[in-house]
Amino acid sequence: MGKSATTSDVHALFHSLRSAYAATANHLKIIDLYIVFAIVTAVIQVAYMAIVGSFPFNSFLSGVLSCVGTAVLAVSLRIQVNKDNKEFKDLPPERAFADFVLCNLVLHLVIMNFLG
Amino acid sequence: MIKISLCLFLVSVPFFAIICSAFSEDRPTDRRVLVLLDDFAIKSSHSIFFKSLETRGFDLDFKLADDPKLALQRYGQYLYDAIVLFAPTIDRFGGSVDAASLLEFVDSGHDLILAADTSASDLIREIAVECGVDFDEDPTAMVIDHTNHAVSETEGHHTLIANDDFVNSEVILGSRKIEAPVLFKGIGHSINPSSSLVTKVLSASPAAYSANPKSKLSSPPTLIGSAISLVSVVQARNNARILISGSLTVFSDRFFRSGVQKAGSTTKHEKCGNEQFFVELSKWVFHERGHLKAVNVRHNKVGETDEPSMYRIKDDLEYSVEVYEWSGSSWEPYVAGDMQVQFYMMSPYVLKTLSSNEKGLYYTSFKIPDVYGVFQFKVEYQRLGYTALSLSKQIPVRPFRHNEYERFIPAALPYYGASFSMMSGFFVFTLVYLYTK
Repeated sequence: MGKSATTSDVHALFHSLRSAYAATANHLKIIDLYIVFAIVTAVIQVAYMAIVGSFPFNSFLSGVLSCVGTAVLAVSLRIQVNKDNKEFKDLPPERAFADFVLCNLVLHLVIMNFLG
Repeated sequence: MIKISLCLFLVSVPFFAIICSAFSEDRPTDRRVLVLLDDFAIKSSHSIFFKSLETRGFDLDFKLADDPKLALQRYGQYLYDAIVLFAPTIDRFGGSVDAASLLEFVDSGHDLILAADTSASDLIREIAVECGVDFDEDPTAMVIDHTNHAVSETEGHHTLIANDDFVNSEVILGSRKIEAPVLFKGIGHSINPSSSLVTKVLSASPAAYSANPKSKLSSPPTLIGSAISLVSVVQARNNARILISGSLTVFSDRFFRSGVQKAGSTTKHEKCGNEQFFVELSKWVFHERGHLKAVNVRHNKVGETDEPSMYRIKDDLEYSVEVYEWSGSSWEPYVAGDMQVQFYMMSPYVLKTLSSNEKGLYYTSFKIPDVYGVFQFKVEYQRLGYTALSLSKQIPVRPFRHNEYERFIPAALPYYGASFSMMSGFFVFTLVYLYTK
């Protein structure tokens, strides 16, 4: 009796999360997809390093940093662009996007240098 | 005045020629041999052996061992290239010779033939001990063998041994097999079995022992069986060769000419093996056989011809050396399949057997290991009967320069791919983000 109650609770939780998420704006969902792509790439690289060993360690760090840095920058863009966020109410979203692009340029410059 | 000086000049020219024909690096066979005897009767009783030396071109100088005018060197130069010491009973040498000067003579690279006998003096025993050979301490002892003695009418004590326990070496004993056993009558000696410099050329059979033949055995003898050596050779580290024999009569004409029949066997040999055995052995001792020289050590990178002063790790290189053997009159190519070269730095990183082109050239090629430092090409060749070859050539090996590494590391391809996919993902994301409603 208790077990079916907990499983039905989990199902209910899942459904409510999904429906709440469906209510978010489209552009935020695009950013979320981008973040998931970056994290998955990072996880794949870590799994490869665990199998093969860390021989060109600088290349490994550079690859992982590119993924993590991209994810971080995308998260900060999402925070600044989200209209429900009271802290960044006065910040124009174009300004946030311009900052995002500039930071990404610097990030990729660093990555290319460190990749070896 | 001019006539006298002209005469002096003409006389001295052949003198210089004689000096030039002496022992030298290019002709390692000895030339001038000093023969020290107890008395001159030995010169005639051992004439076959001495004549065999003279026909091979040696200049023999017979002297009594206690001759007061005996001298080995004059003004720092040795007068002789080798010594034959057939004086077993000598107590003190004459002139300026003594045990120390004899050993110095051997230490400077010259050869020695030493024969002891039943009445060997302490001086001879002392010289033998310094050469690495221990004669039996009992002065009355002889080698007795009740199963391997020679059949003889005169000898009742079984001290005349017929032995064919030779060392298995074609360099030392010649390529022709010695068919008949060797007759021996004298004292036995022992050598250090772990020494690589001393070899037993004629060892006693397992049934032999060393004891006084005329008295009863009171305690078990100390020297027994195959540990007894009858004739040994020593090749010193400076390639001086010493022959030590426990009997002088084995060299005599009487033994050279006599037939032999082993007790218990029916084959009677017309001539015993003494002459062939000792003549071949004297050829080896006087460097007519088994003397190697290594010349022309060369190394270079594969594809080049000149020797670089430094290699890089993971280079391919070639190494070659030429080895010749002195045949008594000329240098012949030495052919063997077991010469090895080491690429050595504290321990050999590469050890390769050199291939030979049958004309004395040994070569190989290998890849330098992934270690940098100062290496040596080492060839250590020590075989029974041959002079020791010890070659070593130093060469440094450097690591990669910074532009000699691989540009793209294949193991890092996923990381390259991830970085570029992030860049293109960023580009696609900006397009999608900007142009969707």
